[in-house]
Amino acid sequence: MSSLALPTSRATWAFGVLAVTWFAAILFADGFDSVSNFRYLVQTASFLGIVAVGQTLVVMMSGIDLSVSGVVALSAVVCAKVASGTGGAATAVLVALLLSALVGAVNAAGVVWLRVPPMVMTLATGTILAGALLVYTDGSPSSAQVPLLDTLANGRLLGVPWAFVLWLVVTTVAFWLLHLSRTGRYAFALGAGEDAARASGVPVVSTAFTAYVSCAVLAGVAGLVLLGFTGTSSLTMGNPYQLLSIASVVLGGTSILGGRGHLLGTVGGALLLTLLTALLTSWNLSEGVRQVVLGVLIIGLLLVYARERRT
Amino acid sequence: MRERLAVAARGNTDLLALAALLLLVLAAYQHYDSSLLTPASITILSAQFLPLILAAAGQTTVMLLGGIDLSLGAVLALAMAVFATYEAQGAGGVLAAAGLALCVAVAAGAVNGALVAYAGLPPIVVTLAASFLWGGATLVVLPQPGGQVPAGLVDAYNNGWNGVALPAVTVAVVLGLWRLLRTTRHGLALYAVGGNEHGAYASGLHTRGVKIAGYALAGAFTGLAGIGLAVQTGSADPTIGAPYTLNSIAACVLGGISFFGGVGRMRGTVLGALVIGLLTNLLLFTGISPFYQLIVQGVILVVALALKTYLTREAAV
Repeated sequence: MSSLALPTSRATWAFGVLAVTWFAAILFADGFDSVSNFRYLVQTASFLGIVAVGQTLVVMMSGIDLSVSGVVALSAVVCAKVASGTGGAATAVLVALLLSALVGAVNAAGVVWLRVPPMVMTLATGTILAGALLVYTDGSPSSAQVPLLDTLANGRLLGVPWAFVLWLVVTTVAFWLLHLSRTGRYAFALGAGEDAARASGVPVVSTAFTAYVSCAVLAGVAGLVLLGFTGTSSLTMGNPYQLLSIASVVLGGTSILGGRGHLLGTVGGALLLTLLTALLTSWNLSEGVRQVVLGVLIIGLLLVYARERRT
Repeated sequence: MRERLAVAARGNTDLLALAALLLLVLAAYQHYDSSLLTPASITILSAQFLPLILAAAGQTTVMLLGGIDLSLGAVLALAMAVFATYEAQGAGGVLAAAGLALCVAVAAGAVNGALVAYAGLPPIVVTLAASFLWGGATLVVLPQPGGQVPAGLVDAYNNGWNGVALPAVTVAVVLGLWRLLRTTRHGLALYAVGGNEHGAYASGLHTRGVKIAGYALAGAFTGLAGIGLAVQTGSADPTIGAPYTLNSIAACVLGGISFFGGVGRMRGTVLGALVIGLLTNLLLFTGISPFYQLIVQGVILVVALALKTYLTREAAV
């Protein structure tokens, strides 16, 4: 299986739809032709994109991570609390990322050793995290100004938002991991057929741990960037990312059943979803109508190019 | 006699273990609240548990078909919002409001089912995207918590109507209907399609129609749960549905419904829902902060599934 080249089919569809939507937005909506708007779009897309890249790694081995919303909140809340307390910024970031990695390891352990279906395992860890954060913060999370994270979220490098640069770096590393490294090939094999992969000696344990821990750490990174972006942490700040990260992966042409797809498709998916959200916001629709339209659009796009082949 | 008991027990080890767990929880509950088995207490508890039991019944229907419904919480909130909002402004009273809310929920379920059956999209993706859709529709109907249910109905539901526990009766009627349905062609078709779709198709079943009907039935259960929740609380809240998605799945898992479809009993789900509901209440009695509820629910889910997988694997070897 040559997984390196961008497959002609579904991942390219994501970029095609993205290009058409962007073109339409420039023509028919106000403000989408300005540089500052473009910059803001790629900056906000980065938050979702970082989570979605991690999600891709898990989905490719036919897993799913529904705990990303919890991990985003965990990392932001813990980092804010430690940074506003006695610990320094570096300690806070380190603690947040270590805890995120721990959650990923728990997910992997449950899936591999306890044989709990990924969806239930990660839904359960997500719920446990939400409860643990309530207990930890007593219901009122703190805010914190961490200069490092502020720069990361709002600063620019030669006019390009740092957040976007970070997303590119993350994507490059994940691209190597998924499409060029041995672990990636194992992940594809597990996604295509677990029993066959096991029988051919694919190391299930290490592959699963790599995928779930990477996914959780990336969700943690996204939480840190979001903390820098808003300056405050909240218990629900991760909630949008649970559904949207999976939607990005699927709209990017990756099969939710695993084994087929391309990491770069996810980048297109995340950009597309962010653009659609921005478009709906620019039309001053109410929150409810916006969600309905977004839901219909996602289902419509999935119908166009992301249907599973009937077996 | 003894042999017959042994045979009955062999097929139902899951249910027996669950029933034992339920008894254990009940015993602990009795310790904190000695009025547990009085009619008043039964009325209150059944009023409190009806939404979860019916939501779990909806999730069971979908899981028996080999699917999963991640939009269940959103559909529940939608039915709740439609019921309470119509009640506040519409003509025709409670029955019209309930009918409308049920129709909306059934339609939502049927749309989910049609997408799964005809579009070739996996249930998890369809219901995930649909949760945006139905969640948004709920916010359109009811942007803020509000709506109204007649005080008389709320009182009759929560405190008993002439000494009859209405919620308990409702659950019993719904389960009775399910029992009847299960023995008909339609009920058997549901199990057949969930257990082996190709086989069911080859035996002449219209598998797509069965799926759509199954998801619509799940919508009806979920809609009833939403109406029940509205009557219990006296108003509607557009964001209240979310926990029901997880808890309904947890109840099914505890009750022995298989993720791969075709295996499981509704009575297991009901026992599972009771265990979850009673455990949550029990936590409140012990004086632990309600913040711990979520942690306990998550842990129960993982432990139950892991234990079940472990035990069945041992048996298979």
